[in-house]
Amino acid sequence: MGEYFLIFAAGVAGSFHCAGMCGGFACVLGTDRRGGQLATVARHLLYNTGRVTTYAFMGALAGALAGALGGQATPAALETAQRTLSLAAATLMILMALQLFGLLQRPHRPWAGRLPGAVGFGGDALVVSLRTLLATPSRFAPLALGVLNGFLPCPLVYGFLAYAASRSLSDPAQGPLTASLIMVAFGLGTFPMMLFIGALAQWLRPLWRRWGVRVAGGFVLAFALVTLARSFVPLSGSGHMPLL
Amino acid sequence: MSASLCEHCLLPIQGRGHEHEIDGAAHRFCCYGCSLAYQVHRGHGEEAEAAWLLIRLGAGAFLAMNIMVLSLVLYSGSFEPHEGQLVRGVHVVLWALATAALAILGAPFARNAWLALLEGRATADSLVTLGALGAYGYSAFEVVTGGARVYFDTATMVLVLFTLGRYLEALGRSRASRSLGPLLAAERAKATVVEGGHDIERPARELVPGTIVRVRAGERVPVDGIVVEGRSQCDEAVLTGQREPQAKLPGAPVYGGSINGAGQLLIRARAGAADSRWGLMSRQVREALGRKSLAGALVDRAASVFIPVVALLAAGTVAHWSAQGPFDQALMAGLAVLVVACPCALGLAAPLATALGLGQAAAHGVLVRSGGVLERLARVRTVAFDKTGTLSSGDMRLLALGAAGASEEALLARAAALARGSDHPLAKGIVLAAGGRGLAHPAARDVEVHAGEGLTGVMGGRRVAMGSSGFMARLGLSVPVGLAPDIAEGCSLVCVAWGGRIRGMLALADTPLPEARSVVASLGRLGLIATVLSGDTPGATARASRAVGIDHWRGELSPSEKVKALHDWAARHGPVAMVGDGLNDGPVLAAAGVGVAVGGATDFARESADVTLPEGTLANLPWLIQLARRVRRTILTNIAWALGYNVIALGLATAGLLQPVIAATLMAGSSLLVVVNSLRVGREPRGRPVAAPTCVESQTA
Repeated sequence: MGEYFLIFAAGVAGSFHCAGMCGGFACVLGTDRRGGQLATVARHLLYNTGRVTTYAFMGALAGALAGALGGQATPAALETAQRTLSLAAATLMILMALQLFGLLQRPHRPWAGRLPGAVGFGGDALVVSLRTLLATPSRFAPLALGVLNGFLPCPLVYGFLAYAASRSLSDPAQGPLTASLIMVAFGLGTFPMMLFIGALAQWLRPLWRRWGVRVAGGFVLAFALVTLARSFVPLSGSGHMPLL
Repeated sequence: MSASLCEHCLLPIQGRGHEHEIDGAAHRFCCYGCSLAYQVHRGHGEEAEAAWLLIRLGAGAFLAMNIMVLSLVLYSGSFEPHEGQLVRGVHVVLWALATAALAILGAPFARNAWLALLEGRATADSLVTLGALGAYGYSAFEVVTGGARVYFDTATMVLVLFTLGRYLEALGRSRASRSLGPLLAAERAKATVVEGGHDIERPARELVPGTIVRVRAGERVPVDGIVVEGRSQCDEAVLTGQREPQAKLPGAPVYGGSINGAGQLLIRARAGAADSRWGLMSRQVREALGRKSLAGALVDRAASVFIPVVALLAAGTVAHWSAQGPFDQALMAGLAVLVVACPCALGLAAPLATALGLGQAAAHGVLVRSGGVLERLARVRTVAFDKTGTLSSGDMRLLALGAAGASEEALLARAAALARGSDHPLAKGIVLAAGGRGLAHPAARDVEVHAGEGLTGVMGGRRVAMGSSGFMARLGLSVPVGLAPDIAEGCSLVCVAWGGRIRGMLALADTPLPEARSVVASLGRLGLIATVLSGDTPGATARASRAVGIDHWRGELSPSEKVKALHDWAARHGPVAMVGDGLNDGPVLAAAGVGVAVGGATDFARESADVTLPEGTLANLPWLIQLARRVRRTILTNIAWALGYNVIALGLATAGLLQPVIAATLMAGSSLLVVVNSLRVGREPRGRPVAAPTCVESQTA
């Protein structure tokens, strides 16, 4: 249980980064004054529910896949796979932490003009769909928006997916459950930031904001380092490795 | 007459298509996906409807994902056997979620399948509906009877994937057809007419010559006209392929379809919208898109047989595997068969690439009559050229005269009088020469043009004839010895006769087209043989052919002899393309495998050619042939993929090796692959085409 709380906290920390990309959507949802406060909260809830569902889905898939593969593999192969996934997860989280520290510029799609047909076209479709959903007044649009946003490429999400997959490798039966719970915990961690982004931006003075981001970066880095350490710790019998 | 086009992707609608009412107006699409994508992209007026569809997809995906998560957790063994009560509870929850998801996502497919069924047809929608309902029905049955495994996740995921696949497919198609948009917009164009000091918006179709039209900055000019007031620049790329805007001042001509730059213009319409080159191209492209190519027709027939076969195969799979093992596994295998089949790939193989090819060509001012023409052009092995006006500039100069029994002035005057009745470059050269000498034209009556050979008429009560020596011979006249002027070698010779005798000869020379030589060289690099078929003297033909680097040539051919030569050549060497100016060699162009007319403006004789290149763009011929070959290659790879994929995938599914959800993913991926492969035709090719020079005024005869 403690582990899930830590993942939740990592989600909170990581979402400081999300404030940049996904925060835009949350802001739009927040600034929509129709229907009063209750309706706004409902919108946020719908949006985040959609998002978390997508994460849970991705987690369940990753967990099922990892579990299925892990069930077939020899212990040696299992260990290698687990290490690789942990390494991947840690790397992604470190990248995220560096971005939070401001040491790494977020790549602003330098490949924009040179995308191969399929990817460029997929990106187009996504963008147009998002735009349409943002502009519509329908009550259920936030749900669809959240579902769609969950699929946006985000290193943090992928990092936690890799982490969830590594945890599922050793236990096929629990795989999907564990993995999706991890992703749900992570998703819920991003809830507060998404809900309060508008308010927070006003309340927190710039100095506090900068420090807050740095603290968040530190936390994510710590989590990443622990994950890294795991990849060099031999497997224990049950496959549930101690976190700290 | 021609097939109607889908309003979204502009491809021809096959069968009934998909009809949908949006904002009170009925719209026709070729498929559900296009209807989806159209509504998403129209944006402003129909936002509620458009977004509702995306919301439908999002809500359906939301439900499906939840179902999937629960199912995965349930069936991976997270629950202990004694928690059976909990499992059954989860099943009921899944059932509820699935019902909602099916209603939201499945409705459009079911509706289409039902409508098709009423007509006695089966479409891909029928397969999806059958599969989804089968899985859902079975799972509901299992819930009621307390079974161990339900498949709601399969049913809903399949629907999500199909909806997503259709939507993406339609997006791809519309992106592909975007280059055609401006061309096809001519018929729906609106014009701001200035009447009595007020601006009134009218459909461009209704404009009459002389109407004053206001064209604001950034608007598309609705009709051909002359600038009355204002200064601006116009981008005429849609007509000539030329990217550089042309300056427009009062008195300058503007052309329908071009885009106005930063200044506002008042123009006086010179012709109706239908008569502008834009309108003509629009009609032709629309017809071209509607015409079925041979490959397209074959594919259609195959697709209509395919679906019932797949349904039978699915039934057989279920029957076979249920005898060998548990029924639910057999059912899933059958579902996989239904879902993995991809008739869409077959159906998409040709139209998209063809439309793109036609669009690419049209974007550079080249009109191709149909997809079938592109196919034939790709298989051409020889290119035959007419000489005068095609390989040469068509500006003929009179070099010398040889007269016998008449004065040179009389000879030239009579020749010019007859020549006024023809558009042939030789005739124009003669008229020019006569004008240059200030000769008065006696009137000629009953002028008859014998295409490719000569002219006859009546002047001052006597019959006069003018033409090649072959023509003269057919009239029973022979050329007096020594009549040909000294420098006649290599010139085109025209005999003039009246009163039963040839009275003189005119020697005209032509200048070879500067780009002709490089065009012939490029064709050679593409592996094509070039030859010249001309009605002119052997000497002139030889000279012109050598000048452009062509080794095979035949001169002094009448039009019927040219046709015979084409047939002979085609029989020996394979399909032949004939290039001419389209005015004087219509029947010859029609007899070739592909007839290419080089010349601009609206001219009905040229309209009937298979391919029309704008004036001065012979250099685009190699590029066009490469484009045709690229389209053909794409279509062939698409068909090969569609067949291969279906055979292998159906084989795997029948053998029970495919999970339905994997099958649905494969199926969506397969049709997307065909779309993306076809999109490659639309990319700017190597060997950029030459832009046509600024629109040339159509010459009134």
